[in-house]
Amino acid sequence: MLVEALIAVPLVGAAVVAVAPNEYAERLALGVSAVPLVGSLYMYLAFDGSGNALLGGDVAYETFFEWLTLGPYAVNYHVGLDGISLPLVVMTTVLTTLSILSAWTPIDDRQRQFYGLMLFMEAALVGVFAALDFLLWFVFWEAVLVPMYFLIGVWGGPRRKYAAIKFFVYTNIASLVMFIGFFALVFGLGDAVGSTGLPEIAQALRAGQLGALGLPGTGAAIPADVLALSAFVAMFVGFAVKVPVVPFHTWLPDAHVEAPTPASVMLAGVLLKMGTYALLRFNFTMLPEQAATLAVPIAAVAVVSVIYGALLALAQSDLKRIVAYSSVSSMGYVILGLVAYSYYGVGGATFQMIAHGLISGLLFMTVGVFYNATHTRMVGDMSGLADRMPVTASVFVAGAFAYMGLPLMAGFAAELFIFLGAFRSTVLPAAPLFTAAAMFGIVVVAGYLLWAMQRSLFGPFRLETDYDVGRAPVHDVAAIVTLVGLIVLLGTAPELLYDMMSDATVDVVEMGGELP
Amino acid sequence: MVTVAGIYAYAPAIAALPLASFLVALFAGRWLPKEGALAGILATGGSLVLSAVTLVELVLTGEGYDERLYTFVAPAETFDLGFGVLIDPLSAAMLVIVSLIAFLVHVFSLGYMNDEGEPGLPRYYAGLGLFSFSMLAFVFASNLLMAFVFFELVGLCSWLLIGHWYREAAPPSAAKKAFLVTRFGDYFFLVGLVGVLATFGTARFAGEGGFPAGPTPVSALIHAATMVAAGVFLLARMYGFYALLPTVLAIIAFTGGFTALFAASMAVVKDEIKQVLAYSTISQYGYMMLALGAGGYVAAFFHLTTHAVFKALLFLGAGSVIIAMHHEEDMWLMGGLKEEMRVTYLTFVAGSLALAGIFPFAGFWSKDEVLFETLVHGLGANPLLLGGYLLGLSAVFVTGFYTLRMVMLTFHGDPRTDAAADPHGVGWNVKFPLAVLGVLATVGGYLNPAPLAKLTGAEVDFLHRYLDGPASEELLTSAHHYGDLTHEWAGYTAGSVAGGETATMLGGAGLSLALALAGAGTAFVLYRGPDPDRHTEALGDLRTVLVSNYYQDEYQVWLAEGLTLRTAIAADTFDQGVIDGAVDAVSSVSLFSGDRLRRLQTGVVTNYAALIALSVLLGLAAFAVVGGWL
Repeated sequence: MLVEALIAVPLVGAAVVAVAPNEYAERLALGVSAVPLVGSLYMYLAFDGSGNALLGGDVAYETFFEWLTLGPYAVNYHVGLDGISLPLVVMTTVLTTLSILSAWTPIDDRQRQFYGLMLFMEAALVGVFAALDFLLWFVFWEAVLVPMYFLIGVWGGPRRKYAAIKFFVYTNIASLVMFIGFFALVFGLGDAVGSTGLPEIAQALRAGQLGALGLPGTGAAIPADVLALSAFVAMFVGFAVKVPVVPFHTWLPDAHVEAPTPASVMLAGVLLKMGTYALLRFNFTMLPEQAATLAVPIAAVAVVSVIYGALLALAQSDLKRIVAYSSVSSMGYVILGLVAYSYYGVGGATFQMIAHGLISGLLFMTVGVFYNATHTRMVGDMSGLADRMPVTASVFVAGAFAYMGLPLMAGFAAELFIFLGAFRSTVLPAAPLFTAAAMFGIVVVAGYLLWAMQRSLFGPFRLETDYDVGRAPVHDVAAIVTLVGLIVLLGTAPELLYDMMSDATVDVVEMGGELP
Repeated sequence: MVTVAGIYAYAPAIAALPLASFLVALFAGRWLPKEGALAGILATGGSLVLSAVTLVELVLTGEGYDERLYTFVAPAETFDLGFGVLIDPLSAAMLVIVSLIAFLVHVFSLGYMNDEGEPGLPRYYAGLGLFSFSMLAFVFASNLLMAFVFFELVGLCSWLLIGHWYREAAPPSAAKKAFLVTRFGDYFFLVGLVGVLATFGTARFAGEGGFPAGPTPVSALIHAATMVAAGVFLLARMYGFYALLPTVLAIIAFTGGFTALFAASMAVVKDEIKQVLAYSTISQYGYMMLALGAGGYVAAFFHLTTHAVFKALLFLGAGSVIIAMHHEEDMWLMGGLKEEMRVTYLTFVAGSLALAGIFPFAGFWSKDEVLFETLVHGLGANPLLLGGYLLGLSAVFVTGFYTLRMVMLTFHGDPRTDAAADPHGVGWNVKFPLAVLGVLATVGGYLNPAPLAKLTGAEVDFLHRYLDGPASEELLTSAHHYGDLTHEWAGYTAGSVAGGETATMLGGAGLSLALALAGAGTAFVLYRGPDPDRHTEALGDLRTVLVSNYYQDEYQVWLAEGLTLRTAIAADTFDQGVIDGAVDAVSSVSLFSGDRLRRLQTGVVTNYAALIALSVLLGLAAFAVVGGWL
């Protein structure tokens, strides 16, 4: 019942906060979000699962009951966590609490709705990572879009309406493409599966039970291999928008620039991970042969995302846009790790989801703290901020170096695993070349972050906007310093998460190892 | 694995002590007397004592130490991702050198930073502590992964310390540039590291489990990649790996000789004292690479040791001058300082003579051995090595020249400014480190006077014997083992000119000493007298090339701004115009067509009736055609 509590507490809390007086909403929301935070940390400590939830592993915190029947398919309420999803759930609760804290300063309008939506989103996100039935998962998956749409559209910047609609429509069309792809697979499995349960479907697909899909009324049929490949492409494109992968990334900078800081933190920290999580769970777990067939184009897309995303970040002069494009670059590493299909590749990709969630969350939060004081994010509008806000500037420096993959911080461990896994991939042809090309991202990332810091944080103090800049409030500093601590902790002791992650991802690649 | 209980168990503390001083300075520095300096002095002093004890233990017992400390991630497949301590002659000696210099720099900083009332002292001492920690852990790293991790941390510390005065415009820019240039090298280091780990499953430095031989294409790539970034110590640390490849070694040697001359030529025309020293450092690293490439493992480490001492001395001496000159670095605004700054002057001269390679100072012995090793292996029919030798030999003259030019301009003649006439005094905390290093720079050469050992037969080549000790034999990191490897794999053999080995040795030493004296003498003649002229003006266009460092800066700026930034801006334009343009176009088309279709919904019933009638007619016509009614 722990997973249900993790979903129900923020859901009920959202309703309560939404009708509470505005003055108390922020503290109430913080209190409510502390409950799932403590709960998920307890679940981390008491975790007793093993293996992969989709491939017959021991699922922890599992709940199963029959919900409804759709034609030949039973739709069940089925949730549970394994070594892949639990870390993501913990990260969701951590980042939600810290985002709520970081919202105290900037959000001064309709607080109860704002915090209500944040809590509603937390419930939906936990649901996405915990659900083990496709339709249940899809309900949570779509539910996440709604609060984010309003968070951007109501509390956002000047072009918030454009950004919110672009975000909503783009990702929603992608969901549709993915949905069609997935159901084509389910129909292709025919009598082999009797439910929309993800473990059942995954195991049937890996057992090679996919048949041809007859087209009603024509007598023609789509052969199984064509069906599998087109379903793989449809799902990949659908999830690639969410990740986002070049060339489906252009909604992201617009959404980030317009979104209020706490929404940016959740968007970069958690929402993007929905895409990579789904890619791992669906494409790479269910259709390993198709992943191997398409390894070269996918790896090419990953490398292009890394380098092209980093170059785009270099060309920006808005701090939020810089961080937004660098997310495109970092998520490229995740794709590379996945397509490598090796022990450290997929494990490292999973680790990078957490590392990037914490690090990009940290950078967005810190940019937000600067913005609260200066009311600008343009690099050209300011210099020497370190003189007035030394602690915040130090945290930004720490975050930037974490992003550059400084050893003993979480990003280095993730990137090292991914590079090791990718270099010796047996699935990807010319793996060392792809790896070496993607590694060049570490030079470009250092270039744009150091340059941005040099221009905005250092040199003589100057600010074009007319505001008094002083030290940041304690609660803002507490939020960002906590993240730095977590990043260093995971960087020095990656085992804290990597153990359970690799235990769950090794089953994914073990069969992959037998691929041609 | 070699495991000895006892004193080696404390080896990790050599690095951990400065880590503690980093934390103390960072979090409590501003409440402490001297704001973190004392913590740093205590910590690095402790490291120095511990390193010295470790070295003594190694010499007495003849046993090394190779122990895993920390597992980064549990080994899976065949990967070995862990940190450990490797104590062998190379690392034990290096630990003493690094902790000695870290200690002296901390003491000197009391005079340079605290007494001058600089702001941000806790940050400074935190950076210095982290730097010492990273460097010491890098030195005792037992594998390439750990070396990379701490190498990167050293890069971070350099960024922090170079950019210390962040309120000014220039230091943050210089820090960024330094970090980016090393980062470019780190890219190759990382490719090499990942390649080694992915290919061999482990990257341990010592023992049979170390780098296996095997000239596969991958290992060739790795060799090339790690070599770009490795740095001299890492080259020495990984010598068993490089010694297997003849061409790689000879290229290292030739590049080293070229670097020695190339960097020295730039030092000739510099006006700022620290710039002369900076280019001189690059040049001296060239000599160490020359030695390693030529199979002179002992010579390289010997020169690394003496250089560490005399270059630290020269930088601290320059720092002392800069304090005295109220933070003026231009040598043309100095002059005549020798009268007012006796300790600084005497020690600086000792360091300079060592740098110039003049008998009997430390640098003479080590540079001579570098050149000797290159010469004999070059004479053993290796033209690349001979080329490297000639480049290195020419650099001796240039080194003598710029070194003495620096001494003459700074200390001799008449004071050329008011500040130089009335320098600001320096305290014991500046003089003490100078004195210690000054003595070492004078006598350090007797650590390994190889020519004396050869001539007299006395066993005075202490460093050579030390590096060949039993501890290194067991760990397969001995000079002897490396000599066998270069002989066997790289085909290095010794040759000599007519008259045999002794004649070659004495002739080579005489030649390099004569060149050093000639260079120094030229500078002395040109820059003596109360008010010397700027003779480098006579170089004309060549001077412009040298002052602008062969336009390397322009090239790097072009690479960063002309090429990369322009590509980035073009990519951004493409992204906004084409990729996002396509997304917006999809939405515009939908909106546009929606808008047009909307016009059908006029709300006028007769229009709808007309449309229905029209549709029915069209439908009938279509069925008529398709269904074959006609």
